[in-house]
Amino acid sequence: MPIQQISGCIGCEACVKSCPTDVIRMNRGTNKAEIRYPEDCQICHLCRLNCPVGAIKITPEKSIPVMVSWR
Amino acid sequence: MSTPSLSRRQFMGVAGGLAGAMALASLNFDAPAQINKPKISADDFKQDQREVDVLVIGGGMAGLFAAVKAHDAGARVLMVSKGRVGSSGLTPFAKGIFSYDRKKASMSIDDFVAKVSESAIQTNNPVFTRQLAEHSYDRVQELKSWGFFDSPIYHESFMRPINERRISVDERIMITHLLKEDGRVVGASGFMLDEKRIIHYLAKSVILCTGSGGFKPNGFPVCDLTHDGTIMAYKVGAKVTGKEWNDGHPGSAKNSGSSYDNWHGQVEEKPSTTEVTINHHLGVDLNYQAYTQGAPVMMGPPGDDQDRGSAVENAGPFVPEAFRHSAPPPPPQQGGLRGLFAGKGHSGPPGMGGEQVGGSSAGMAIHKSEGLVPINEQGLSTLPGLYAAGDALGSYMSGGIYTQIGSSLAGSAVQGAIAGEAAAKESLKLTGGVTVSNEQIERVSTEMLAPLKRERGYSPAWVTQVLQGVMIPNFVLYIKKERMMLGALAYVEELREHHVPMLLADDLHALRLAHETENMVITAEMKLKASLMRKESRCSHYRLDCPDIDYENWQAWINIWQDEKGQMQLEKQPFDMWPKFATA
Repeated sequence: MPIQQISGCIGCEACVKSCPTDVIRMNRGTNKAEIRYPEDCQICHLCRLNCPVGAIKITPEKSIPVMVSWR
Repeated sequence: MSTPSLSRRQFMGVAGGLAGAMALASLNFDAPAQINKPKISADDFKQDQREVDVLVIGGGMAGLFAAVKAHDAGARVLMVSKGRVGSSGLTPFAKGIFSYDRKKASMSIDDFVAKVSESAIQTNNPVFTRQLAEHSYDRVQELKSWGFFDSPIYHESFMRPINERRISVDERIMITHLLKEDGRVVGASGFMLDEKRIIHYLAKSVILCTGSGGFKPNGFPVCDLTHDGTIMAYKVGAKVTGKEWNDGHPGSAKNSGSSYDNWHGQVEEKPSTTEVTINHHLGVDLNYQAYTQGAPVMMGPPGDDQDRGSAVENAGPFVPEAFRHSAPPPPPQQGGLRGLFAGKGHSGPPGMGGEQVGGSSAGMAIHKSEGLVPINEQGLSTLPGLYAAGDALGSYMSGGIYTQIGSSLAGSAVQGAIAGEAAAKESLKLTGGVTVSNEQIERVSTEMLAPLKRERGYSPAWVTQVLQGVMIPNFVLYIKKERMMLGALAYVEELREHHVPMLLADDLHALRLAHETENMVITAEMKLKASLMRKESRCSHYRLDCPDIDYENWQAWINIWQDEKGQMQLEKQPFDMWPKFATA
């Protein structure tokens, strides 16, 4: 899993706006950010760097094997 | 949509089937065909229409300067971005910006342009190379005054000049279509990612600052860029170029899918300036090494040119003599990229240290070498009313190879500023408003929402995986041979003819993916056709079956456009000529 957890969200939406690949969305019921499309995470960490309270945890592994030009 | 030529595809399928099947076998995906269960209805989208003088599409470095300079030249400007200003595309990850300081530079501008041309084996457009050197210092000074160098996160410094000028900004909007009336581009249409609303922007001039793109490759932060601007311009008749070149950034063997780890946390660094240091690098040397010698491929620390190994000296991609064993660049006074990493315990950008895998930026060409064909140095495209800047413009500022560290970001700033001012001046000369026919608005809206309305078809994620399996292998995209490219082309044509028209979306996120997937498939077709046409090897375009430079026949770039019948056409554009407005 790439972006793994959002814990302690204050609902500022900085991560939603700063994610280039639209992985995170606001849950309008809880008014907290949630990981909606983790398969599209490019593991760039912009959401974590933009989070004012350090709520986002990211791991370097993708959830499916990735296509590379050689291995 | 053209009629499928089954007989040709079947023939090609025999040639390409084995490779494609092997590539696809490595992927695990569910059965492709599926029934769409939309979470939202396509029938009750609201529609807005907005009118401005200059529409800037894209919120990266080129878009920033285009918007600011168009405003300062007196135009009403609106910037629209797929993501957040300064936080989408490749801009947030670029940390070195070239600044040619006339007082301190180690060579004159004439010498700089000549040296870049020598490294680029004449594939650069010297007009844009010179423009970079002449304007970069001033743009860097402006960035400094906005606080750009004070933070690793660019949004705040980018918004400072935007807010000071009260320039309108619409974020999180996926533009899918350019609007064209009587041969002139008069706006663009797209949909919001956060609510069911289509917006039609009418403008006297449009500047594409939409960056380049890739095939959503793993390990490079380019997965939100899918050549959207290039393809929407291609669809309304603009000429595009540069599709045969390849960016050769490798990825790390460990956690290949992590952009952050591939770049060793570079995104957390504040940006800095770079000085004149002309190279010939990040072409496909490593790809050749991996192809001929097998994996693993290792690279040395910064400044160590082991990547120009013996294979490259005797065969493989040609490196001009003067750039073969260049000494490590002198330590830049204010850091510079290599200095930056050498001093802080980082091992540097991708490809510096450790075991490497290929294709981390697959689908992307050398910065500034692909995009819309310019007809002048202001970045005016072959369509009246349409400009482009930065990676969306095929300016060939560096040519088909990387020549100057930090020039990519600086070039976007320089070209954005010039296009912004030119577009504003042209817009102010046009009297009267802009109109678009209802028929066009209806057609565009229908095409935009079509993936939501389809009941059966294919998921964008699956089509993207197939495309990656066909295109990303080293022996297709990088170490090129006619037989393999024809095989891959058969697959890509199948995707374009039969699968793209059946792409599904069940929400706004998937709708974005559906359009991005179509753009990637068309880009793949362009890359294969341009690579087949260019029967030589030069810079980052390497053909195993035509390994030499052909100075007699290939002192030319390749322009690609769509003819009136919807067919992809290719032509040579001599290095020393400017094209004219398109007639298609």
